[in-house]
Amino acid sequence: MPLGRIPQSSYYDARNRPGAALYRARQPYLVKNAVTGLFIIGFVAGVYSWTIRAIGQDDFSDVPMPDAPIQAGHAPHTTAGSRSAGPA
Amino acid sequence: MSSRRVCQRCSALPASIQRAPAPLSARIAAKRCFTLSRTKQPSKSPSDNPPLQNKRRLSSLESQGQRASSEYVAPPASQQPTQSPHEDNSRLLLKPDNLFHSFSNSPSPEIRRRAAFMKQNAYCPHPAHAQTRQPIGPHDLEARKTGTHPPAHVRYECPDCGIPVSCSYEHFADDYENHLDICDQLREINEDDHDLRSGRFFPEFEYPGPQLEEAQVNMTNWDTLLYTREFNAIDNERSLRQATRLLTYPITIGSVIHELSPYNIKSGGRLTPEGLKSMTLRYTLHPPRSGAGMTIAGLRPNPPPTRLFILGARAESSLPREVWIQLVHLFPRATFHLIFIGPESMANRDAEFPLPPRTASNPFGAVVEDRISGQMKISTFVEYYHTLHAAGAFAPYDPYFDAFVLFHPGLGHPASSHEWAETIPQLLETKVPVICTGYTEYDMQRDIKWVHDTVGGEVDMLLEPGENRFRSLRWDLNDADPSDVSCGNFGLWAFRGKRYETTRKDVE
Repeated sequence: MPLGRIPQSSYYDARNRPGAALYRARQPYLVKNAVTGLFIIGFVAGVYSWTIRAIGQDDFSDVPMPDAPIQAGHAPHTTAGSRSAGPA
Repeated sequence: MSSRRVCQRCSALPASIQRAPAPLSARIAAKRCFTLSRTKQPSKSPSDNPPLQNKRRLSSLESQGQRASSEYVAPPASQQPTQSPHEDNSRLLLKPDNLFHSFSNSPSPEIRRRAAFMKQNAYCPHPAHAQTRQPIGPHDLEARKTGTHPPAHVRYECPDCGIPVSCSYEHFADDYENHLDICDQLREINEDDHDLRSGRFFPEFEYPGPQLEEAQVNMTNWDTLLYTREFNAIDNERSLRQATRLLTYPITIGSVIHELSPYNIKSGGRLTPEGLKSMTLRYTLHPPRSGAGMTIAGLRPNPPPTRLFILGARAESSLPREVWIQLVHLFPRATFHLIFIGPESMANRDAEFPLPPRTASNPFGAVVEDRISGQMKISTFVEYYHTLHAAGAFAPYDPYFDAFVLFHPGLGHPASSHEWAETIPQLLETKVPVICTGYTEYDMQRDIKWVHDTVGGEVDMLLEPGENRFRSLRWDLNDADPSDVSCGNFGLWAFRGKRYETTRKDVE
């Protein structure tokens, strides 16, 4: 506990809640500040959501995909099934 | 006795008066009465502020200190050192929940005296009575009186507001709808008057000192102004009313001439382009930094002080000087010379009489107070302005340094307009801005009309008439007519003599 009183503004009560005079002093700016706050938060939210969408997976549903091959896993150039002309 | 050291003069006062600021004297209330004959009210209750270092204030307290003690329930002196003013309830005459009393049965002798005055001087406003005077305007209740009953003084007090408003119960009941319009306001006035004499501690009369220049002041309304000027928080509305009643005088002037004034040239801002041109005072009041300092190297030539001529000064000349200093604190690097001019400018300043002798260096016997602050000097002339103008006492006038301020001058009021007839043309001639206030909207419009009628079109409006943002929030009662409530500096407007940039010359 520091010696002496901590300097305290008379606009806040003993529990640091704003007093009536402070509410009255803020009153001309309440609505304007709230709207400005909403705009800022909205802008931030908009940037955030756009970014997350922009770096997300691409959507390829409109691209025509070729059919899959008939023999799956058949290796075409193995030497087991054909004689190759070796070095003569 | 208290362990605080007190000088010999202060020790004459009871310690209870010194410790807490005494309630504001009702002399301000009395002076604001707007009677037809402009009679002065008898001077009222004890003086107000705590003793300052200023000798002038100490002397006025001393002379009235004895009256002050009779108003209070003064505790024995041994109680004083151990109790702070906040807990000192033993000397409270009236607790906050006990502030409504009918004027005739009030615990305060001064209010009882006012009630007696009202009962002897105020007339019942019921239409059945005959008129006693010319109606002042269309809203004056006197205009309704068409009957033949002889005029009767008010005797019956309304039970809701406690103020005598009618001569009898029958007339009161008959006229009840009209009374209901102002009953709430009258009750508020009643409670505020009792609050002033309740003997409580008045933290709202402690004013702050100068502040950092960069901490700018916000002049949107009273609350933002008090907050940005670092006043102690005034949460209670009643305290706010008591405080603004005094502060309205310096702050009204400040709100017009400050560069952050709420009046601007946008539509609805009330300042006209001519007004903006006339606010040349702002160049002097907000000077650029010059590198001045406290050493020899920091010596700089200083401009002369801004002169504010307060004409027709009555109660405002007796305002405590710490209230006027609030004007100085709005302008960090400017100096002021306040000049109170008017036949009643020494009203309620009885401690300062006799006036200084008229000598060559002080030809009008002005009371000069130059020890108030390094930035303010106050002079009081008990003269009409036209006398001083004719004598050239303040010539030359410079719109960069001078302004005239008229607090509720009553230019168009039938009882006082003849006194202004000679002064107004002289004010217009100086081409210096004249800032005017009025008690009510009607009063203000009447003044404007009178000025236009008297001087023709030779007037430029600088500030369109309208409600003053920094009017007194506390309403005052006119003791000679209880249905007339007004507040200090309700309306505000400004004018100046017309400046012609070019004039036509008849071509032969």
